[in-house]
Amino acid sequence: MAQYRTQTKIIADILVTARDMNTAGDGVGITTLLRKGNVSYNRMTKLIADLVGAGLLEEHMLEKNAKYKISERGITFLTAYSQFEDFAQSFGLRL
Amino acid sequence: MQGLVLMEDVLQFIGAFVAFSIAVVSYKGVRQTKSSSLLRLAAAFMFLGAGFLLEGLYQLNTLYVIPGLEVSVATLLIAGLFLETAGYFFLAFSHMLDVFFDKRMGVMLALFPLMAVNQTSLVVILTSLSFYFILYGVVETLFAYSKNRNPNTLLIACGLAVIAGGWWVSLVSPDGLMLNIVQLLMKEVGLVTLFIPVLRFTFNKKSGWNGPV
Repeated sequence: MAQYRTQTKIIADILVTARDMNTAGDGVGITTLLRKGNVSYNRMTKLIADLVGAGLLEEHMLEKNAKYKISERGITFLTAYSQFEDFAQSFGLRL
Repeated sequence: MQGLVLMEDVLQFIGAFVAFSIAVVSYKGVRQTKSSSLLRLAAAFMFLGAGFLLEGLYQLNTLYVIPGLEVSVATLLIAGLFLETAGYFFLAFSHMLDVFFDKRMGVMLALFPLMAVNQTSLVVILTSLSFYFILYGVVETLFAYSKNRNPNTLLIACGLAVIAGGWWVSLVSPDGLMLNIVQLLMKEVGLVTLFIPVLRFTFNKKSGWNGPV
């Protein structure tokens, strides 16, 4: 049975994709984020807008295509997520 | 006799310290990750800490350390027990949400009417509720351990089970100072076990997250 993912977990997954799939250095497109993030297009566009607004993702326009890079703030979020995920898991909870 | 009461009092304040420490770490997590699970965990341990604190004050009052509080002895005890029950409720509630979102049956929910409503005294009802919530927490934490195989989760489940044992002692045994101490010691041992993730969090900070996408 597929496990329910919390909003925080989905955000962490998107940020990890933006960090790890950015091999060329110019960011990742929404198709990559959709493929790895496993959420619908509508939900993803809203999440990306929220993450860009919160300063966790940086948006760049490259030949009319939007590309996304993880920001310093996003890396800080992932570090905190890692620490607190372990903490919550100890109590049998999901972050 | 007075020494035992004092010991009971010290244990209550240690319990309050441990609970508030877990609440502070959880709240730090809420601020950094906006996680609702951590918010419920912070609320649970804030209530537990406040409950222990009030019960400690109640004990101090029985030792006549705080003279002005005589009139509110019963209020202190009931308020302390109520806050403690609220804390255990939030702990169980977090697991209930997981059960709800995973669309699986929470087995302990079926036992609820048997555990909670067969007594009339407010103290006994609160104690029964606390026992039920903590037992539910044990079952769900063990279930989480069966999935994540994290030794810390098993440790927390054992800690919660010891706390539940403490509540069980207070439910089935007649009043007595020695039994109170045994019950409180079991609760303290359980709480100190819950403190281990806080220590791990403080001393074992990881540099980044590489979890699966």
